[in-house]
Amino acid sequence: ATGVDQAVGMSIVVFSLLLFTYYSVWVIVLPFVDSDHILHKYFLPREYSVILPGIAAVILLLCIFMWKNRKPKKVD
Amino acid sequence: MTKLLEWLCGVSTLGAVWALVTFDLLDLSLPQTYREVAWPMPLYLLVSFGCYSLATVGFRVATFNDCEEAAKELQEQIKEAKEDLRKKGLKM
Repeated sequence: ATGVDQAVGMSIVVFSLLLFTYYSVWVIVLPFVDSDHILHKYFLPREYSVILPGIAAVILLLCIFMWKNRKPKKVD
Repeated sequence: MTKLLEWLCGVSTLGAVWALVTFDLLDLSLPQTYREVAWPMPLYLLVSFGCYSLATVGFRVATFNDCEEAAKELQEQIKEAKEDLRKKGLKM
């Protein structure tokens, strides 16, 4: 793979690693940290750690559904 | 025992342990922090699996084995074939 392909691939890898790290800290580390520690400032309230993946899943399903249903423009 | 049964047994066991901890079915009175970590576990595993899949796709895209010379050679051969057929009268 060259050029753009490599850049896109690598950016996908980095993005997923960041997402995994942030989500792991949010779900697993944060409950063990004192509620007055500064780290809590960087994270939304924990309810959102369930709501946001739910919304993302719904959007993903919508996109898949619309992609499957796309019709090419008719040529007269 | 079939693979399906194996998987179902494994998943049910893990599911039972998770339900025990989350809904406190045996009244074990675990510390609140452990319960707070345990209850989003199924969703967390799903998100981690999604991240792993995404990372795998991205990595495979980045390390895909292009064959530049073979691609050029193929294009040349296509041109030759088109010319040949055009000479023989096939309308493109």
